[in-house]
Amino acid sequence: MRLKHIWIVFLKEVKDIVRDKKTIITSIIVPMVVIPLLSMLAGGSVQNMQNDITQNVTVALSSNSNTKEIKELVEKEILADFPNISLLDVQDPIAAINDSTVRLVLDIEEDYKIKLEEGKPFVIKLIYDKSQAKSEGSIGIVSSAINEFNNRIVSERLAAIGVEDAILVPAKIEETNIANEDKTNLSMLSMILPIMIVILISAGGTAPATDLVAGEKERNTFEPLLTTKTGRASLLIGKYMTVTLFSFVSAIASILGMVLGYFIDPESMTMGTGAQFSGFNIPITAIGFILLISILMGMTFAGIQIALSTYAKSFREAQTYLSFLIIVAMIPGYATILMQPNEIPVYMFMVPILNTISAFKIVLGLNINYTYLTLALVSSLVYVAISLRIAVYLFKKENVLFRS
Amino acid sequence: MIKVENITKQFGSFTAVKEISFEVGKGEIFGLLGENGAGKTTTLRMLATMLRPTKGTAFMAGYDIISDPEKVRSKIGILFGGETGLYDRLSCEENITYFGELNDMDKVQIKERIKILAKTFGMEDYITRRAGKLSKGMKQKVAFARSIIHDPDIMLFDEPTSGLDVSAIRDVHEFIRSCKNDGKTILFSSHTMSEVEKLCDRIAIIHKGELVEYGNIEELKNKYGSNGLEEIFIRLVGGKHEA
Repeated sequence: MRLKHIWIVFLKEVKDIVRDKKTIITSIIVPMVVIPLLSMLAGGSVQNMQNDITQNVTVALSSNSNTKEIKELVEKEILADFPNISLLDVQDPIAAINDSTVRLVLDIEEDYKIKLEEGKPFVIKLIYDKSQAKSEGSIGIVSSAINEFNNRIVSERLAAIGVEDAILVPAKIEETNIANEDKTNLSMLSMILPIMIVILISAGGTAPATDLVAGEKERNTFEPLLTTKTGRASLLIGKYMTVTLFSFVSAIASILGMVLGYFIDPESMTMGTGAQFSGFNIPITAIGFILLISILMGMTFAGIQIALSTYAKSFREAQTYLSFLIIVAMIPGYATILMQPNEIPVYMFMVPILNTISAFKIVLGLNINYTYLTLALVSSLVYVAISLRIAVYLFKKENVLFRS
Repeated sequence: MIKVENITKQFGSFTAVKEISFEVGKGEIFGLLGENGAGKTTTLRMLATMLRPTKGTAFMAGYDIISDPEKVRSKIGILFGGETGLYDRLSCEENITYFGELNDMDKVQIKERIKILAKTFGMEDYITRRAGKLSKGMKQKVAFARSIIHDPDIMLFDEPTSGLDVSAIRDVHEFIRSCKNDGKTILFSSHTMSEVEKLCDRIAIIHKGELVEYGNIEELKNKYGSNGLEEIFIRLVGGKHEA
């Protein structure tokens, strides 16, 4: 194995891939433009939906309770302070929910007035459609209007007998959040970022890995290459470095796209949460650790991808194997998405993929433990060595290389 | 220049090449004649150090294919039949340069050699164009140039005319002759009798991995009392078939 040969192969492969519009579009342009665009669209629609649910709540009275008296009760007593809720007059209230003209139907007992005067409770039934997000989402808004009405009536009744409202509240609840804003925002990032990194890095190397071995075999460019003075290990390492590079270029392009999207429309990019992703105070050493660990994970993926591409009989077979690899990589990410940084067991810092996810979680969760980070780093190094060993083994094996 | 000694290749229980021995002298064109699947490609792959023999060995320009594969590769050039195997997104010049660099040539050497080869093969007009944009004939000339960029002593041709049209076949034949004129030793595999007869000084007939005949074409004709190689081939291989 010679460095000079590795470098020649690496430079040629990079040049070849940079000129391949298909790979550039799928690994750089698509993640950079489409991912933030989709996030913004999805985030924007969540935000619009939230606004819509709270802003334009339409209700109607059931046929039984559609009397002048009840209408006045609803309009003047219950909804008076809620301009976002409007009472509509409809012919068939249930049909009106179905066709989304109204979100809720209020069914109020006809003898409510007598019960109210006697100090007895009367029933307001809220009829809604659980299959409609807006209908279900309006229950809370209308319920709070009814609760305010209840509180007002209770206050009036207590005042009439000379008792203060406070008697109804023996203990008041006051919440104090000890997490600073950084920690709250970072905790959200520690859920999303690790899985994204795993998916992006594993997906980024797919196109070049498929092309660089299985593609070469199919295009008959591979055999002439094997007859040059360059040894197989040099050819493999040059190709391996190219796959690693493009995994990162693709991941960086996606992250840049998301950062750009965040600056353009922070509300949409954070699904309407408005979380702030700047000015964190993470130690530089810890950042160095997670960067290094993710590079090593990318190198491990590149090794496996090259090995699978070598094993594949055709370009299509390689594509199938490598797509399956992305799915396999996603599983640990989704399985641990809700795991909190302080709950991660030590063994997870030694399991492939999970070690990277765990390292990201503890650093972003500001629960930094350098022993665990070192464990993740060392285990990542071991996995790089193992995956590369497998790739070299297959690349040198005649019955794999000339498998047809 | 080429000395093959009892070379054998087994894939599991299947013997693709069985104890083949032959020698090819400097500047000679030697033909490996055989049907599809006879073991010609496996033999060439072993001589090009792509496959490791199970038994036996060979010496290419004095270097052992087992103990000195890198040196062997620096002395050989190879041309395959069918697809030319060029990188479509690289220019012709870049395709040739890549193989020059992988054979340890320096930039100045490569540049000078490409200049000569471009002139020899009439590629000057399209040498800077991307290979993917060229006609099949043009691509073939680039593949010729690429195979001899490092000026190898030995050229291996693995069914170089398979799937080609008449004019492309003529180009390949001319290229083989020009290699001979340059003093290169040529090992050439084919199942087309006429081209073997036309080009080769000596031949070896391989059937089911075994060498069934070996010698000068004229001598073989005399030995078998026949005017055509095809008849000799059928007699040797056909007999084996019946057996």
